[in-house]
Amino acid sequence: MGYKITAKADLSPIDYFVEVEAPHVAKAWKPGQFVVFIVHEKGERVPMSVYKAENGRIGMFIRKLGKTSLQLYYEYSVGDELWSFVGPLGKPIKVKNYGNVVFASDAVCGQAENYATLKAMKEAGNYTISIQSFENKANVYPEEFLAKPVADEHYITTDDGSVGIKGNYLDVVKELIEKDRVDIIFAGGKLGTLAKLAELTRPYGIPTITTVRQIMVDGTGMCGSCRILYGNEIKFACRDGPMFDAHKVDWADVLKRAERFKEQEQLAKERYLEELRARGVI
Amino acid sequence: MPKLIKERVPTPERPPEERVRDFNEVNLGYTFELAKQEAERCLQCPVEYAPCIKGCPVHINIPAFIAKIKEGDVKGALRIIWNDNTLPAITGRVCPQEDQCEGACVVGKVGTAVNIGKLERFVADYAREHGIEDELLQEFARECSEKKGKVAVVGAGPAGLTCAGELAKMGYRVTIFEALHKPGGVLAYGIPEFRLPKEILDHELDKLKRLGVEIKTDHLVGRTVTIEELLGEYDAVFIGTGAGTPRLLNIPGILLGRIYSANEFLTRVNLMKAYEFPEYDTPIHVGEKVVVIGAGNTAMDAARSALRLGADVTIAYRRGREDMTARIEEIHHAEEEGVKFEFFLNPVEFIGDENGRVKAVKFEKMRPLEERDRKGKRKIVGTGEYVTLEATTVIIAIGLEPNKIITETPGLKTNPNGTLVVDENLMTSIPGVFAGGDAIRGEATVILAMGDGKRAAKAICDYIEKKAKAEA
Ligand SMILES: Cc1cc2nc3c(=O)[nH]c(=O)nc-3n(C[C@H](O)[C@H](O)[C@H](O)COP(=O)(O)OP(=O)(O)OC[C@H]3O[C@@H](n4cnc5c(N)ncnc54)[C@H](O)[C@@H]3O)c2cc1C
Ligand SMILES: Cc1cc2nc3c(=O)[nH]c(=O)nc-3n(C[C@H](O)[C@H](O)[C@H](O)COP(=O)(O)OP(=O)(O)OC[C@H]3O[C@@H](n4cnc5c(N)ncnc54)[C@H](O)[C@@H]3O)c2cc1C
Ligand code: SF4
Ligand code: FES
Repeated sequence: MGYKITAKADLSPIDYFVEVEAPHVAKAWKPGQFVVFIVHEKGERVPMSVYKAENGRIGMFIRKLGKTSLQLYYEYSVGDELWSFVGPLGKPIKVKNYGNVVFASDAVCGQAENYATLKAMKEAGNYTISIQSFENKANVYPEEFLAKPVADEHYITTDDGSVGIKGNYLDVVKELIEKDRVDIIFAGGKLGTLAKLAELTRPYGIPTITTVRQIMVDGTGMCGSCRILYGNEIKFACRDGPMFDAHKVDWADVLKRAERFKEQEQLAKERYLEELRARGVI
Repeated sequence: MPKLIKERVPTPERPPEERVRDFNEVNLGYTFELAKQEAERCLQCPVEYAPCIKGCPVHINIPAFIAKIKEGDVKGALRIIWNDNTLPAITGRVCPQEDQCEGACVVGKVGTAVNIGKLERFVADYAREHGIEDELLQEFARECSEKKGKVAVVGAGPAGLTCAGELAKMGYRVTIFEALHKPGGVLAYGIPEFRLPKEILDHELDKLKRLGVEIKTDHLVGRTVTIEELLGEYDAVFIGTGAGTPRLLNIPGILLGRIYSANEFLTRVNLMKAYEFPEYDTPIHVGEKVVVIGAGNTAMDAARSALRLGADVTIAYRRGREDMTARIEEIHHAEEEGVKFEFFLNPVEFIGDENGRVKAVKFEKMRPLEERDRKGKRKIVGTGEYVTLEATTVIIAIGLEPNKIITETPGLKTNPNGTLVVDENLMTSIPGVFAGGDAIRGEATVILAMGDGKRAAKAICDYIEKKAKAEA
């Protein structure tokens, strides 16, 4: 039995949206939790953040990155089925009234969580501030996929200033902190930026909760692939996270471990792109 | 009294040079004729005395099934085995027989013990291949028509599968919830194909489905659905979630790239078929020199898998040869295939290269003492001398702990080592929730997990019947 794709759309030239029918996951999912899917029988187990869990369906934002994400983009359409879909995995974030809640993100997985987290936070009575960073105007998502509807304040930044504020979410966060408007900050997206965010908020003692993505296999705490050093203890990102207090994470190690399979992934991607070209798909 | 034949009839094995090049099964098992010859060696000790039965954790009536082989009655043999063990194709391959039935066999006092494990495997394989199993299964399936209640089983390892099978045979409707996309537990993700072909496992799973058991994969209990929710829908719950969390060494360099837990390594290779990358999408890299730390079955499996990926493999163990916990057959096979062994080496640091990947392991040399610990192993002390082994990949196989997600269940009591607390009926601290296998024992064996599954099935049946009477 597979899991049917019920919707699919481009978010930008580099990111896309996919919705999959998985009632067992949708029923139990809470913000902060992720899923793992396998596209087909020979596929890899791929962790993914959740944008929406509604009507038995799970929506996800995916970047065209390597073999799996490209294959799902080019070869699977609405009506097709994914081979395996498990979740929700990881621990939910604590949703309560913190006051001013900021969610900042600068890459696909963070953008998905930005919406999901702030929606829950708003419902819990918080004042919500969303900052969504993109490289340039072309990469900004269509209005309907932005976190705007669930944010009391919504900012877009672009690296080149082609739309919104020029710069990265770090710049906006800095200003908000200086105006004393941040009670807690959540963030997702690029690991490198998260590491910088941790340093930015540390001197102010602002609670900073970030996704710590690591390469995963099972996602259930069985393999140890996703291990990180957290306050000098070994933690498993899939089981104990994936949202962690950024101030306790050893970011230097996290960044190194994320690169573990670079050569193999490159090889698989090249081979796959060649295949797509040969078949005239791209 | 039959004549004593001292030496066992050997089972054919593929030569080491050939088998290290693929993941196909190493031991080919007995043919009908060879099995009968080996069966002749059994002295048919009387059931009440037979030491092999006592040595078997689930007390299979070994002399009786061997007698049936002698007569050439495989169906009769299978029926006897199935009384106590419904997965003989698996246990015949993976049980540490030398410590159990074969270790106790009287023939072993003067020669080599009767090859009980391989005979068990023969019965299962022959029966499967010749439709005999089908016939028996149909007999059992008929008995399953009466529906007495609903039971949820958590985890599709040997404990859960056995419990489910037994309950189905007793007439219960059983649903198994399994976190991974493939059922089998360690049999699916841990033990490699060259020891336990996936075909065999698939066949066993199919057998369960034919008994009416439903298996829901992609369901992590504790996350997808909770024990509490299951209790709302089912009459009882069995937890067989195993000991799936790897112990890692808390020494410098543990986060370096290409240091895998044996679970990660074996899951990538076995379950995800990384040995066929990039045909399959999951990658693995071993490089030229692999160092495996540990000396149990897991270490042997990891070492022999790495060998098959083309590496030069060394197993480093902090104790001596006699303390290795792996099955003897696996140690022999590893040696034959060219795995090297280093003893009395305790890892103290992983040394990395400029890319954050491991390049060597630093060990302290250990020295054995005369004194023994509680498990009867010689105590060891550090010598203050160090050696370094080059390594492009390190695999850590120093043990497993119970999976923690299930133990977060409110009200579910655990022991200090993380195993679940159960009473003499294998019931946990939550009424109606039972448990068995590695989840209550820590790292144990397939047959013990199955034994628990079976005992729990009986206890669950009693529990549900009692509850029904009380409600009536
Ligand atoms: C908790 C979590 C949430 C995530 N959410 C999203 C999301 O919402 N959208 C999204 O596009 N991506 C998300 N990712 C990353 C996503 O899993 C990888 O991008 C994906 O596996 C890439 O697969 P690929 O075959 O296309 O690329 P590959 O060629 O396999 O890999 C490209 C890069 O992706 C990363 N990666 C590869 N395999 C894994 C893996 N098994 N686990 C984690 N990272 C991996 C590595 O950094 C690698 O360099 C998430 C990862 C985690 C751990
Ligand atoms: C590499 C390796 C080699 C081994 N070799 C041998 C051998 O040769 N002989 C031998 O006798 N023993 C061997 N063992 C030990 C043996 O495999 C175990 O003792 C046995 O598998 C335990 O069975 P189990 O059913 O208790 O758990 P497991 O086999 O661990 O199965 C547990 C199952 O539960 C699932 N699960 C866990 N948590 C959840 C949850 N919350 N929700 C849903 N599902 C969940 C897991 O995914 C898994 O499928 C070996 C172990 C390893 C790791
Ligand atoms: S102990 Fe050995 S000889 Fe005696 S019944 Fe068992 S297998 Fe046969
Ligand atoms: S992905 Fe295997 S333990 Fe986290």
